[in-house]
Amino acid sequence: MQINIQSKAGECEFTCGEDETLLHAGLRQGLSLPYECATGTCGSCRARLMDGNVALVWNDAPALAKLKREKGDILLCQARPRSDCTVRVPANVLSAAEGSHLPEHRKGTIANVQRLTRDVIHFDVHLSSPITFKAGQFVIVESKDVPGRRAYSIVNYQPDAETIALVIKRKPGGGFGNWLFDTNVEGQELDVFGPLGGATFHAEENKDIICIAGGSGIAGMMSILECATSQDYFRNHKGYVFFGVRSAADAFYVNELARFVEASNGGLEVTIAFSDEDASFVQNGTFRGVNLVGGFVHEVAEKAMEDRYSDMISYIAGPAPMVDGAIRMLVTRGGQTPDRIRFDKFS
Amino acid sequence: MSWKEVCGQGDVAENTLAKFDVDGIDIIIANYGGGFRAIPPICPHMEEPLEESGAIGARCILTCTKHLWAWDLKTLDMVPPAEKPLKTYELKQENGKIFVFIEHELTYDFDEDDDDMDDDFFSKS
Repeated sequence: MQINIQSKAGECEFTCGEDETLLHAGLRQGLSLPYECATGTCGSCRARLMDGNVALVWNDAPALAKLKREKGDILLCQARPRSDCTVRVPANVLSAAEGSHLPEHRKGTIANVQRLTRDVIHFDVHLSSPITFKAGQFVIVESKDVPGRRAYSIVNYQPDAETIALVIKRKPGGGFGNWLFDTNVEGQELDVFGPLGGATFHAEENKDIICIAGGSGIAGMMSILECATSQDYFRNHKGYVFFGVRSAADAFYVNELARFVEASNGGLEVTIAFSDEDASFVQNGTFRGVNLVGGFVHEVAEKAMEDRYSDMISYIAGPAPMVDGAIRMLVTRGGQTPDRIRFDKFS
Repeated sequence: MSWKEVCGQGDVAENTLAKFDVDGIDIIIANYGGGFRAIPPICPHMEEPLEESGAIGARCILTCTKHLWAWDLKTLDMVPPAEKPLKTYELKQENGKIFVFIEHELTYDFDEDDDDMDDDFFSKS
């Protein structure tokens, strides 16, 4: 079906099948459609259907509550066309996004499933064709066995990757997490759409970096650290990583983080913050060069970064209150401006 | 349509925001160090309550921490990725007090309640 987009930058067109969302089809064909979570929660892909019909993927998508649905407002990430459509998008939509690898659907096969903690699972996905992505990007995965689609940051980094690693935290009522934990998912197939997201690392920016992550939000930071380490980036730049978990039993990727510290020639500093009150036993400890501190991660970062801010790029990922706290801290205490703060709002 | 007293200058600490009810109209007073601004209580992007989401940082920049729309409170310039200007009430300080001039409540075009105004779907920036 033919989709006509009217935006502040003029009109453009793309085609979309009845099983694909307008967002995916448009991005795949190089349109710079606005989005953040791409999974129905943030509302960034709000648009207005001027002509035609669409069906919703997820009738209870949280962001639908923010829309004027009686006016024809839709979420591009939730709308599948049922006819040719004309859609107004309140942003500058350009066609032919140059110089970037366009997102695409790939078939993925789950392998190497590892339970890292009581509620965190790590697995690889072998892809039907290699994917080139920027460190910090995410993919959307869908299983025919579990309703809904989920966005997950890629943990590893390499050009033309045939395998991506994902890490997922089980949440109460989380269908996908329950499926991963309770089923033998080795060899199961997924639809993998990506790469997506703009919270990316670019070595050529030549700036110090700070990463603040909570729980599985560390995923994209691992990719950034792998990319940076492979270029010996921390020989000439500082890197500060703050990783928040509840307790020592909830920490994961500690050895991997320690290896990044060891390989950094002193430029990279990693701190794991334990938010449970009984974490006081780890106050001011270290483990293989990784600092272990009690407290909420953005508060630990605030204290540790006092007088150490520079012309830097900030990456943030984690639960919404942590993200909000970290951004507030970077703006008010660190003097950081919005163009230097990167995060993808999944929730 | 008149000047209304909102608060004392000392009621809003430097680099903070505070919300006040002025004759039934919510107004945020922002103290950016070099002065004050009086603005509507929500972010023009996605209606976030700026009293909670707004943070004033370096160079007098007000940032909505939800999606990083930001404005220079001194010049009122938009700071990327903001795409709509901040609306402001006229403000004056007299005898240690802050007054704003309210002609009518300032709002942003989220709703497009009047279909004839449908082009407001795109920001007027």
